[in-house]
Amino acid sequence: MSGKTHQYAFFLGCIAPNRYPGIESAAIKTSRNLGIELLPLKGASCCPAPGAFGSIDLKVWYAMAARNLVLAEQMNTDIALICNGCYKSIWEVNHKLKHHDELRDDVNEVLKEIDMEFKGTINVRHLAEIYYDEKICGVAKLADSITTPLKGVKIAVHYGCHLLKPRKEREFEAEGVGDTENPMWMEELVAALGAEPVQYRNKMQCCGAGGGVRGYDIAHALDITNEKLINMSEVGADAITEVCPFCQLQFDRGQIEIGEKFGVEWAIPVLHYNELLGLAQGMSPQDLALDLHGISCEPFLNKLR
Amino acid sequence: MAKAKGYSDENLSVRLADRYYRTEDASPDFLKNVEKIGMTIAHMCYQCGTCTGSCPSAPRSSYRIRKFVRRAVLGLENDALTDPDLWLCTTCYSCTDRCPRDIAPTDIIMAMRNLAFKREIVPRNFLNTVQFIYKTGHGVPNNDVNRAARVRLGLEAEPETTAKYAEFIPGIQKILDHYGLKDKADEILAEGQ
Amino acid sequence: MVDETKSQKPRVGVYICHCGTNIAGSIDIKELQDFAQTIPNVVLADEYQYMCSTPGQKKIEDAIKEHGLTGIVVAACSPRLHEPTFRTASKEGGLNPFRFEMANIREQNSWVHMHDRQGATDKAKDALKMAVAKASLLEDLFPKSVPVEHSAMVVGAGVGGIQAALDLASSGIKTYLIEKAPTIGGRMSQLDKTFPTLDCSQCILTPKMVDVGRHPNIELMTYTEVEKVEGYIGNFDITLRKKARGVLTPTEAETRGIVGGGCNGCGDCEQVCPVIKPNPFEMGMAPRKAIYIYHPQVVPLIYTVDFDSCVKCGLCVEACGEKKAIDLEQEDEFVTVKVGTAVLAVGYELFPVEKKTEWGYKRYDNVITSLEFERLICASGPTGGKVIRPSDGETPKKIGFVLCAGSRDNTGIGKPYCSRFCCMYSLKHAHQLHEKIPGSQSYLFYMDIRSFGKMYEEFYYRIQDEGAKFIRGRVAKIEEDPITKNPHVLTEDTLLGQPVDIELDMVVLASAVQPTEETNHVRHLFGVSQSMDGWLLEAHPKLNPCGTTTAGVFLAGVCQGPKDIPDTVAQAEGAAAAASIPIHVGEVELEPYFAMCIEEKCAGCGMCVNLCPYSALDLVEKNGRTVMQVTEAKCKGCGTCGGFCPGGAIWMQHFATPQIVAQIDAFLLGGEQ
Repeated sequence: MSGKTHQYAFFLGCIAPNRYPGIESAAIKTSRNLGIELLPLKGASCCPAPGAFGSIDLKVWYAMAARNLVLAEQMNTDIALICNGCYKSIWEVNHKLKHHDELRDDVNEVLKEIDMEFKGTINVRHLAEIYYDEKICGVAKLADSITTPLKGVKIAVHYGCHLLKPRKEREFEAEGVGDTENPMWMEELVAALGAEPVQYRNKMQCCGAGGGVRGYDIAHALDITNEKLINMSEVGADAITEVCPFCQLQFDRGQIEIGEKFGVEWAIPVLHYNELLGLAQGMSPQDLALDLHGISCEPFLNKLR
Repeated sequence: MAKAKGYSDENLSVRLADRYYRTEDASPDFLKNVEKIGMTIAHMCYQCGTCTGSCPSAPRSSYRIRKFVRRAVLGLENDALTDPDLWLCTTCYSCTDRCPRDIAPTDIIMAMRNLAFKREIVPRNFLNTVQFIYKTGHGVPNNDVNRAARVRLGLEAEPETTAKYAEFIPGIQKILDHYGLKDKADEILAEGQ
Repeated sequence: MVDETKSQKPRVGVYICHCGTNIAGSIDIKELQDFAQTIPNVVLADEYQYMCSTPGQKKIEDAIKEHGLTGIVVAACSPRLHEPTFRTASKEGGLNPFRFEMANIREQNSWVHMHDRQGATDKAKDALKMAVAKASLLEDLFPKSVPVEHSAMVVGAGVGGIQAALDLASSGIKTYLIEKAPTIGGRMSQLDKTFPTLDCSQCILTPKMVDVGRHPNIELMTYTEVEKVEGYIGNFDITLRKKARGVLTPTEAETRGIVGGGCNGCGDCEQVCPVIKPNPFEMGMAPRKAIYIYHPQVVPLIYTVDFDSCVKCGLCVEACGEKKAIDLEQEDEFVTVKVGTAVLAVGYELFPVEKKTEWGYKRYDNVITSLEFERLICASGPTGGKVIRPSDGETPKKIGFVLCAGSRDNTGIGKPYCSRFCCMYSLKHAHQLHEKIPGSQSYLFYMDIRSFGKMYEEFYYRIQDEGAKFIRGRVAKIEEDPITKNPHVLTEDTLLGQPVDIELDMVVLASAVQPTEETNHVRHLFGVSQSMDGWLLEAHPKLNPCGTTTAGVFLAGVCQGPKDIPDTVAQAEGAAAAASIPIHVGEVELEPYFAMCIEEKCAGCGMCVNLCPYSALDLVEKNGRTVMQVTEAKCKGCGTCGGFCPGGAIWMQHFATPQIVAQIDAFLLGGEQ
């Protein structure tokens, strides 16, 4: 295992590269320290957003996701990604097209117009779940890569929805990842950084943003977010971590919006797991562009020192 | 069909309107279409409420996913597709995970949204996403603040996506045009102006 | 195997049953009848509404005499259902009953092809001509009678096994009652009260347990498991493993020359034992020692050593003193007993409800199972009948009962069936709560209340009247308050159409039931099938609910499918009656489907001997040659030997090679030879 480099086509999605570029930068650098090489997936687009596109026409969703998959097939490389929403589109469409001939034929008819064909030759994985996979990285190796342990902070893990659910459709190569009611593997990943993961009520609840609800009824979406923030603050979380830039957006920008709309003030920093990992591997807040976050990460960073 | 009252007082006709469900109210293909698009077995629902009990949207709205499944079973297409609550599902899939009948209620909602879109019932934000992607390949496109930050981090100003490789955008447009999605989005948005 | 009718030209009568519209609705009877008349050897083709009725059978009886028939074919349902009926009719008509052949055109045809009339009719023609081909070659066979051992075995000594054993024994049959646990009583002895009468469960069960211990015809063997089953109805040889319990009964002590010794249940040993383990009878909520009894009312009152946890310190041996009841070096013993019939009553266990992770069992302190609640509310339980919250020992005032906790679940995690008694015991639990804890409030989360038994709906009415709150919604999830440890039950009140968040002091999961871990092993030993859900399969769900497809083996209680105590006891009495019939008759007829050796063709190679799964074959010397010989009573007619014999020297009665080849020819060649 040691010394061997695992290569993946890095599917970026939209929000990480275009709103939180620190996540993209950190993902590439921290993974390299773990023997995981993330290669550019040139010409990839939006996954496309499963809530918006799936709601309008699932067939378009299949075709658009398939185009992204074919780009990786052409590189003959499995995809790694850093967003739960992207995971739903890219993993699930890959899985569905591999198993349903009729869907695949429909999609290939469209792809033919742009000289592409979905063949079903690659796999799709979430980077967080690759980190947890003993066959590739594992918690011990992750802990070994840490140079600046994140001591003295309590972190609430938000798993998000679309990486794990629906459980019956998911198949993970990493062992111990599949539970959707009380998973603990991300807590293990957080503990490996030296931080203290905390358990809070209704941990598996949605951030509120998905399914187009953030755009359709922002107050409704924020009310869900607010409930999560109450539960997290109840157990004294110093920061929230997640593996989905859309959830990050909802928690980060959402706290400001909650202040504006509901008059409820929150200031809990929200960091993608790769940002946390970057800090623990010695990257500076500037290297991670934490200044782009809506909620200041300063109190969290100060607590670390 | 509800029987018209035809009372001279229109208000009374409305207040006392016939509220029976009759079998002829059922749209014959609604259940079949929902099951085909959603690839799930809506007709097996026994109305236990596990879905609504799992739903993060239910406690803060009138959205009841169980009722939408019921509408599928009874063929109440209009009620389902014109109900604004249809768009309150966050697609968290908790109901799908827990449904004891192994139904995917979330995918029933997605199927109904697809059918609603065919009738041009769709919230504007969904269409805005389509327009962004048609133009840039991204639902959330890059901007100047972000470009500057990217450069600071040692990344290129444009990510390795359609943002940097614009030659891929016509392919995306072809896919969307194949389904007539862009035109339809433009049309619906224009009508709403 | 050879008789004069063989040389005679076959004359076959064909009868086509409409079975009302079951067959006639999907198959063209007239077309089939016309076709039948064209099949070689058919001298008569008739049809009737219900061939199994008296007039239907009369047709067969009359035609045999009138037309001198040599074979009968009835095209109707499965032979499992009416083969015996038509064999009897053939016999009444003066024909050997084994000259009857059945063509299944219902289960294997009309029921599965109801939307394809022509296809079904064509398939029926094939079935018919194959049956006629076989019937043309059938021979007279004569069943053998074997004597039946005047004893029976009951496996499992819960209330079902106890009742079956008492009935068998009281009808004069020597009965071995086998129980794997150290005491009899099973699940019922763990219950506090029984619905709907609210009798004390122990109070009504203990007299029966004592009767078992005292009955002169019952040989009770606890801490014993079935090891091996050989033989067949009337003559089962069953080997039992008497697990080493490390403690001698007074009788056992006496055989070792220790007069007046053996275990008297005084408990001195338990006092000094240093090893503490959870007591499974108390669902692990109370301790026991490495030498233990489950509870004070055990039958037999004999201690048992748990050798997995015993450290062999010898303190118990010292404490026992002159009684010399404890033998820490004891080993398992094997005994073989002969019985005529057997009743399986191996019970159930709870589905491991922690697999439904959304309810947090084993993760949240104050979420318990219904059996744990039974022990908590039972006066002889670990808390003396004081219901307490596991998290802090406080008295819970608001308790939720979650019905269908793993039942009616098609996710692949739970059980698709209804567990049938959870609704009723949950109503009972609500009553017990109201009775024991003043000011308490019960909440029952349900999908449907299934109160179908005698006085059950009235019980539901009574509990509702006592103030139980019923919330119609299956529980979506349970959340624990991290500080108070109070469980919150989240579901939808589907009648209001409103999500509910009910904060409770404690939640009781009415967990689904499932076959015990050992059920599958036991059923293989006795050759009993299981249904799709894992429960043991009865011979017929309506008409033979206590029997199995293995002659002489019967079922009682939940091992056949979830049922409450009244149904279990009723089925046990039925199984006991059914199991006693062959014993009282004294002999049973065996189907004459055994293998026969054609000695002139047998080369004596002996390959068949090792293949036989029933050890029914031997090599013997006959007229200076080594040939194979069949022990007919042991042979089950499986055909393994006949199919294998390289010299074609084995003749399978009723499934002989020429008969089967004729069927194949009839199908492939349309009857051409």
